Amino acid sequence: MTGRGHVKFRDIVKMHGEFAALKGVSFDIEPGEFFALLGPSGSGKSTTLRILAGLDAPTAGHVFIDGKDVTSTDARDRDIAMVFQSYALYPHMTVAENIAFPLEMARLPKAAIGSAVKEAAQKVKIEHLLGRKPGQLSGGQQQRCALARAIVRKARLFLLDEPLSNLDAKLRLETRAELKKLQRSLGVTAVYVTHDQEEAMTLADRMAVFMAGEIQQVGTPAEVFAQPNSIDIAGFIGNPPMNLVPARYTNGDILVAGHRLKTAARLPDERDVIAGLRPSALRIAPDGLKAQVDLVEDLGDMAVLDLNCGGTIMRMRVGDHDVPREGDTIYVTARPQDIHLFDPTTRKRL
Amino acid sequence: MAASALASAETGNPGAGDFGHALAQRERRFAAALLAPAFLALLATTTFPLIFLVWTSTYRMNLAMPFMNGFVGFENYRMLLIDERFWSSLLISLVYTGTTVALQVAIGLALALLVMDMKRGQGWFRLIAILPVVLSPAVVGMIWRTFMLAPDFGIVDFLAINAGLGSQNWLGDPTLAMVSVIAIHTWQWTPFAFMVLLASLASLPEDIYEAARLDRATAWQRFRRITLPLLRPAIVMVVIMRTMVALTAFAAIFTVTGGGPGTATEILNLYAYRKSFIELSIGYGAALAVALLIVTIVISGVLFALRRAK
Ligand SMILES: Nc1ncnc2c1ncn2[C@@H]1O[C@H](COP(=O)(O)OP(=O)(O)OP(=O)(O)O)[C@@H](O)[C@H]1O
Ligand SMILES: [Mg+2]
Repeated sequence: MTGRGHVKFRDIVKMHGEFAALKGVSFDIEPGEFFALLGPSGSGKSTTLRILAGLDAPTAGHVFIDGKDVTSTDARDRDIAMVFQSYALYPHMTVAENIAFPLEMARLPKAAIGSAVKEAAQKVKIEHLLGRKPGQLSGGQQQRCALARAIVRKARLFLLDEPLSNLDAKLRLETRAELKKLQRSLGVTAVYVTHDQEEAMTLADRMAVFMAGEIQQVGTPAEVFAQPNSIDIAGFIGNPPMNLVPARYTNGDILVAGHRLKTAARLPDERDVIAGLRPSALRIAPDGLKAQVDLVEDLGDMAVLDLNCGGTIMRMRVGDHDVPREGDTIYVTARPQDIHLFDPTTRKRL
Repeated sequence: MAASALASAETGNPGAGDFGHALAQRERRFAAALLAPAFLALLATTTFPLIFLVWTSTYRMNLAMPFMNGFVGFENYRMLLIDERFWSSLLISLVYTGTTVALQVAIGLALALLVMDMKRGQGWFRLIAILPVVLSPAVVGMIWRTFMLAPDFGIVDFLAINAGLGSQNWLGDPTLAMVSVIAIHTWQWTPFAFMVLLASLASLPEDIYEAARLDRATAWQRFRRITLPLLRPAIVMVVIMRTMVALTAFAAIFTVTGGGPGTATEILNLYAYRKSFIELSIGYGAALAVALLIVTIVISGVLFALRRAK
């Protein structure tokens, strides 16, 4: 099944009247890849997925699947399976009939359908619900039913629009792992929409980060995490997100709240910058930046501190052993390579 | 009478001394008193005529031969069972009802599906479509007889001539007359089915059709496997309501053909009318009307049972 599911998006624009939901989006997805579309609510992820599925036509641009221009091909003929954000289960059919529907449309023999339905239901742990109607299921159960309906048919592209958003934490982790295994074993290309960056980081081979109808960065999760190429992405990826503080660059150092920090960046001249410091990159050191602990959020195995560094608020992650108390004064610093610098006007990485 | 019956049912309670209870009882009595006039009016206008009809059907009551009048028990019904004209009018009623209801649902559904796909002008279409429904059936009958079906000048006949079919005797030929009265009833009441089915269609979620497209269902499969099952409750409701009305249709046929030519369009209702008020055989006419009532109840009962059976 390798070699199937190569996706190419070229300058896709989608207008809703005057409003541009997508402003020229281009990306490539390799066959067999697990590709995540990550971005805040309303950034155009679902729109992208629907255009890829053929449910909506783009206003401009072209979509290629396996080298063929499918921009005007009907959804029916694209051989794509999809899990809808709204589930889109057939309300009058039982769970079993819902899952069987794509196979019936493919004219599979009855016996083959029965066993395939059972297998798919087992994978998402709903085999005890096969006789129920969607109206008699909880949100999470409906979502798993939708997932089963999508995986039961071996389509060449597998699209998922926030398929785990309604599951509880434990089930989400389990299903996530199951999904990844499934995708690996089938070798099928998967496009996965989520606004949960942890999900994208753990599942995706590569991801595209959407902001306001544009792709701001494409790369592996590690790349995007290590080298966010704009302030918006830096503020979006990571939990808690990166601290973004105004600073002054001089000669390989930056001046933050009156304190000098060494950086790895080399800029041509002195200038104002936005410095990005991950909460996990901050560490306590006697010669560091003086900060007062305003608040301690204890998360069990770690804690998040709200620090006040002479008016600049930063958050810091510490392990559970050396947690300061609220009101304490501590000194923090960061390694030079952990300091990201951004241009305050263009918001791009320097 | 109804008020006292309701009130007496209340006084049987031993704990009536309790204040709250007494109050509740007073309120209920007051409610019964308020309901009584409407209840009585209903009795007087529906139940009483019905009982009178059944009672009449057990008498020989012929205004042309008053000297023969008198109680005959089930004699009228015995006659009815061997009356060929009764059986033929029953058959005409069933054909008329079955055909027009089937046509109303089929055309109404087709129109609803078409209009759902219309990008604009839906509102106008709905407004125009509803017009026939608000007309009186008698007026509809007149319109069709004079404006649509009249030889040479009627629109339908004009179209038939231009289509090369030649002028037809739309209301004079037995088969064509039946076709015409069915067409008229269908024309008037299809908008009802259309409106109900359109509303029902509009309430169906859109995303399941997208899911079906991705599941590679053809347009026909989407209709068969999704639209039709989801519309089923609405369709069954339309069939029940339209069947009850079509079985007892009267005014349009009466004004267009009067049951003719001969007895070609004489539905049971019309036969009962002719027997009672043309031939003045009131007792036998009443028996026919009761027969129609029974047929209507039985068919409705079967349809309701089917609806519940799912
Ligand atoms: N039919 C429409 N008419 C007008 N605007 C629309 C329409 N559909 C979507 N939009 C807009 O397009 C933008 C992108 O929508 P989209 O559904 O792709 O967001 P999303 O990234 O999937 O968000 P979420 O995470 O909340 O699902 C949104 O601002 C939305 O309001
Ligand atoms: Mg979405």
